[in-house]
Amino acid sequence: MSDPDDRLGLRTYLTPEEAKEFHKLFMGSFLGFTAVAVVAHILVWAWRPWL
Amino acid sequence: MWRMWLIFDPRRALVALFIFLFVLALVIHFILLSTDTYNWLDGPNSAQGAAAAAVATP
Repeated sequence: MSDPDDRLGLRTYLTPEEAKEFHKLFMGSFLGFTAVAVVAHILVWAWRPWL
Repeated sequence: MWRMWLIFDPRRALVALFIFLFVLALVIHFILLSTDTYNWLDGPNSAQGAAAAAVATP
C-alpha cells in the first residue's frame, strides 16, 4: 500500500508540461463547443425568439 | 489555470463533464418539447393540446 499521505498530495500523474498541453486542447474544445452553442441559439432565435 | 489538471485527474474530469453535459442537454431538450412554442415535433397547440383544451373548458 503506498504511503497514504501522498494520496492527498496535489499531484495527479501529469507533469506540468502535460497539464499545459491538456489545458490547451481542453480550452480549444471548450471554445468549439461554445461556438456551436452560440450558432444553435442564433438559429433558434431566428425560428422563435424567446423574449 | 492549467494547474487545475495537476489537481483534478483529467480522465475523471472529462467523463464527469461529458455525463453532466449530456444529462443537461437531455433535460433542456425535453423541457422545450414539453412547451407549446418550442415543440418542434408536434408544433404549437397540437391536436392533443386542442382536445385537452376542449375538455378543460366546460
